Amino acid sequence: MTLFVPDVSAAYLRDLIVPVGETIGMAAAGMFVAFALGIPIAVAIGTRAPGFRLLVAALSSLRAIPDLTLAILAVVIVGLGPGAGVVALALFYTAMVGRVYADLFLTAERAPLEALRATGASRVAIAAFGLLPLTMSDLLTFGSYAFECAMRASIIVGAVGGGGLGTELVGSLNALAYHRVLTLILVLVALVAIVDRFGALVRRTPRLGLLLVPVGLISLWLNRPGLFSFAHALGVFGGMLPPALRLPEVAALPALIAQTLGMALGGTLLGAVLAFPTSPAAAQRIAPPALALLLRRIFDVARAIPELVWGLVLVVSIGTGPFAGAIALGLHSAGVLGKLYAESFENAPVAPIAALASTGARTLPIVAFGFVPLALGPLVVHTLFRLEWNVRAAAIVGMIGAGGIGQALYQAQQLFFYREMLAYVLVTWGLVALSDWLGERLRLRLGWRFVASG
Amino acid sequence: MLELRGVSVLYTRDARPALAGVTLDVAAGECVALVGPSGGGKTTLLRSINGSVPLAGGSIRVDGVDVSTLRGPTLRRLRTRLAMVAQQHDLVDRLRVYQNVMAGALGRWSTWHALRFLIAPRRHELEEAHAALSSVGVPEKLRSLTSDLSGGQQQRVAIARALVQRPSAILADEPIASLDPLLGEQILRLLCRLARERNIALLCSLHQPELARRYFDRVVTIADGMLAVDGAALRAGGAGPAHVR
Repeated sequence: MTLFVPDVSAAYLRDLIVPVGETIGMAAAGMFVAFALGIPIAVAIGTRAPGFRLLVAALSSLRAIPDLTLAILAVVIVGLGPGAGVVALALFYTAMVGRVYADLFLTAERAPLEALRATGASRVAIAAFGLLPLTMSDLLTFGSYAFECAMRASIIVGAVGGGGLGTELVGSLNALAYHRVLTLILVLVALVAIVDRFGALVRRTPRLGLLLVPVGLISLWLNRPGLFSFAHALGVFGGMLPPALRLPEVAALPALIAQTLGMALGGTLLGAVLAFPTSPAAAQRIAPPALALLLRRIFDVARAIPELVWGLVLVVSIGTGPFAGAIALGLHSAGVLGKLYAESFENAPVAPIAALASTGARTLPIVAFGFVPLALGPLVVHTLFRLEWNVRAAAIVGMIGAGGIGQALYQAQQLFFYREMLAYVLVTWGLVALSDWLGERLRLRLGWRFVASG
Repeated sequence: MLELRGVSVLYTRDARPALAGVTLDVAAGECVALVGPSGGGKTTLLRSINGSVPLAGGSIRVDGVDVSTLRGPTLRRLRTRLAMVAQQHDLVDRLRVYQNVMAGALGRWSTWHALRFLIAPRRHELEEAHAALSSVGVPEKLRSLTSDLSGGQQQRVAIARALVQRPSAILADEPIASLDPLLGEQILRLLCRLARERNIALLCSLHQPELARRYFDRVVTIADGMLAVDGAALRAGGAGPAHVR
């Protein structure tokens, strides 16, 4: 029960300054690179530069390697510490920012862009005077969302030796210092909340986003890889080739994949089952404002704690295995879906709801006859997208003993079986790429291209 | 029936009252049209009867019950007796037609009954929906998806929902504004016929004074939040205040 009393002694909080700084630094440096590389790539795709389809495919396939898997690779290649975290975050979020911004550019209003092109403007000019202003609000919304994700990811990459709060968290768990674990989780929730607020500020005053430049640059400088480590990295990477699995490992593969997919499915289901009945009460159009606000905060906390951290805590309390993994995914998903479902209800058309209310209907019937059918499209799409995301997350939580492909990958790394490790990375990649592809096709058929998530 | 006495409404940010001392009666089975310029107070008047707009002065009685004193559950119970018909787009388009029609019964159903109906409607409930749809002329649409209906058909379904509500009064806010003229006249004729047959007070805001005069028992004009002319009063030879009866 000591878990429920956080360690807030001055000495411990002082000790946290460096890891918190590292975590923020990794996120800032990673996102700085992601924007610096992702935006030009997205502009190239958005203006249909020669070979843009190839770029799209490259981004999609890079995005299919979960961030923590990238972090493990980076730790092996770059070495322990925040440098590895920066590399992993920069790669993952370059792909994410590039891909989503490219989609936004490709679907931007055509007429003003054609007019610009007719003047003989260059790609850069078209971007500066057409693409960016046309899509600015979406760019900012997604950008701040991506930064929030990067902050959570920056915590989890630490769990595999990327430095920062994640490393601290794993250390405290291994030392059975649960009161410190609670402190760390509170710090993490606070950090994500701050990033969320900052994102809202940047959406209102976009110039504030430029703060990312100095912070990102400083952090990049602090974590610059040395020349020696570059040569070392090449050597290590050579040692991973060619990827290979022995026969018993190949035979175990289907079971591992089934475990991972089972965790993703179970976690999504649990998240939906927890979120669906509670989310109407989190919508201000349905519930009293005080109740709605309280539930939103609960969702925020569940959402701020990444799947992996839920997993770390659960593995300690209910033991290892895919069941713990599914619950970890479910708790985080419940927070995400609860927020998104509530927003879908808030966005339901006004007139039919008013008509139902005017018949003197009670609240729950109004929800059942009005809000749910009216918001059904977004509800389904958000859930499908969460399932897609949870395939990634299931591969990640496997690393902390929840089983599946992730656990096999992590064990191979811990035992320095790098060729096996790379083989598992490739399997993970294939699995996620396939689920992404299926999910995207399904969403396009439902007429939905972009979904916010968190 | 509806009794409005000196009804005033102030929207806080507006210096000019939205309604200034409106007095009006609508008897059971009587069809009254409300005409006047946009922003003149037609919608506010209808919404105030429903208890959706707080009154700054005066009183509104529905079947003798003072609306402004009601809150929460009692207001909800009153609303079951007032059916609203809006411009359009006020049906839930993803539901089946019979589900939208029977939504009119939500006010008298328990929450449990409502949820059970969504999953497993009983035969007599479907028959009630069918009967309501027959009286608005689209019985064959019972099980159609609401989004597959045309604008005119949707408005008929909205009226069927109002009938299922078994109201004392129907408050219709520009019910034909988004329909073509021919369809619009059909809908007006239908509304007035049903109101007379079933002894329902009908108060209907309209844009077209000539249609109002053709189909309604009485026409009142509202501008700047005040009633100007009462058709019946004029015909009776009295040029006095709006409230006569």
